[in-house]
Amino acid sequence: MSSTEQGTSSAAPAEPTTAPESAAAPEVPESFYYVHGKDKVVHKVSAGALQHSALIHGMISNLGYTEEQAKANPFPFENIDGDILQMVVDWCNQHKGKPTPPEDTNLPKQKEKLFDLVLAVNYLEIKELLTYCCKQVAMMVKGKSPEEIREIWMIPTDAEDEAAEKEAKKRAGKEAAGETAAAAGDAK
Amino acid sequence: MPISLLSLPAKDLQYAINSMDVSDLLAFSLCSKRTKNLVKSSNLQILRICAEVDENRIYLGMFVFQFRGNFQINIEKTIRIGLCEDFSIAFEREDGFQMWKNTEFTFSYLIAHFLSLSNISTLLRLQINNMVPIGYLDTVKQQFSKCQILEISEGCSEELTKMVFLKLAPLAGQVEVGNNPRDVSNLLTLNLSTVLFKDMRHPLELKLDDLLNLNIYDLCVRNTVISANELNRFLQLWMSNHGFYRPMMINLRSDNGWDSEKVMKGIKYDNVDKEPSFRLKREDGKELKVANIGVCVMFAFL
Repeated sequence: MSSTEQGTSSAAPAEPTTAPESAAAPEVPESFYYVHGKDKVVHKVSAGALQHSALIHGMISNLGYTEEQAKANPFPFENIDGDILQMVVDWCNQHKGKPTPPEDTNLPKQKEKLFDLVLAVNYLEIKELLTYCCKQVAMMVKGKSPEEIREIWMIPTDAEDEAAEKEAKKRAGKEAAGETAAAAGDAK
Repeated sequence: MPISLLSLPAKDLQYAINSMDVSDLLAFSLCSKRTKNLVKSSNLQILRICAEVDENRIYLGMFVFQFRGNFQINIEKTIRIGLCEDFSIAFEREDGFQMWKNTEFTFSYLIAHFLSLSNISTLLRLQINNMVPIGYLDTVKQQFSKCQILEISEGCSEELTKMVFLKLAPLAGQVEVGNNPRDVSNLLTLNLSTVLFKDMRHPLELKLDDLLNLNIYDLCVRNTVISANELNRFLQLWMSNHGFYRPMMINLRSDNGWDSEKVMKGIKYDNVDKEPSFRLKREDGKELKVANIGVCVMFAFL
């Protein structure tokens, strides 16, 4: 469970609301950290939930933030869309301190969202969620013919690959020629 | 913004590929050269590929192994791909065959594709079952360039056996015949590596000329009828002949067996120490070992 609010990475966010903890809450008060994505919406996440992300866990360990410092400096993930980060935060909260089940049916079914989620999860180094996402990606083509797979996963044909390669070589050649000409001009 | 699978980070892409079902992975490998290379470096291994011809259909059976971490969850299964009468492809899925009609892939392309995905260069076995129309053999021949073993099943008629042998045996390293035809003269003159007549029910009638004109490197007949006199005559002619004789090994077996004295009568030979065998030496230096005369006989041309 998480709460979100508008904010920026430079300004301290207002106090986010948190969902009530379960009756069997730990006696030691849990520390919270703050993250935001491209949309600058700040998410409050417990340290326990963030354990899933090797990247954030490493950042926390290295920075040694106090809660006040953490609140004042949310971790910025500008390369992750807000709704994708929300999904990641939700997943981390849902699976906080729990063994991960063999399947996760709550992942997005839309291709673009799923691929963005894979990129985000890969960046944040959340191994279990990455496993689910990759399985979900694999499921997209279950029982499909090669032609259908090509369409679903936007796989270029060999002819398209060759044309792209030629184009890239041509571009590289032009760039190299431009650089040589510029260098010759500088020398004069 | 749309994202293609191949733009995923390499590690994630490989993980997604390794999570795929075997038949999906095989279908994925057909999408392009890049996807083929990705599958090549995945957890999937094609261990062997066999083919079976039944009536007007050819089935390719691929025995695959998918490494999933340990022996309890690793997957070993056979995926079948069929060529139907209308040249559409039937691709086996978990819930039955999926038909690929008007597909860009020909059956021979699929064979070459899956062979190149594996570390094997040729089909292990091509099995011809009974009920295959003789006219269909040309279609079969067009699909396969080579196979290690051609098996002509015991249920095949004599006519079908002969036609399969004549048309398809040159593609195979080894030919196994399940139903002995009555006359095999024109079959034995084919330039072949290994031929096994494994029919125990109907003895294969061999004649002296069959042995003299034999052009098969290694011949084995599990049940044959040829007299000791004819074998003796064969040895005499081999001794007196100075020409090239291609076979390296002939193994024969007969329910009645042969008398070694009759077989070796009048032949000059040396006994091989500690072996019930005879060593024959021709004037041109060529040697022949004749061994185990009894129910079986072996001719090894040294």
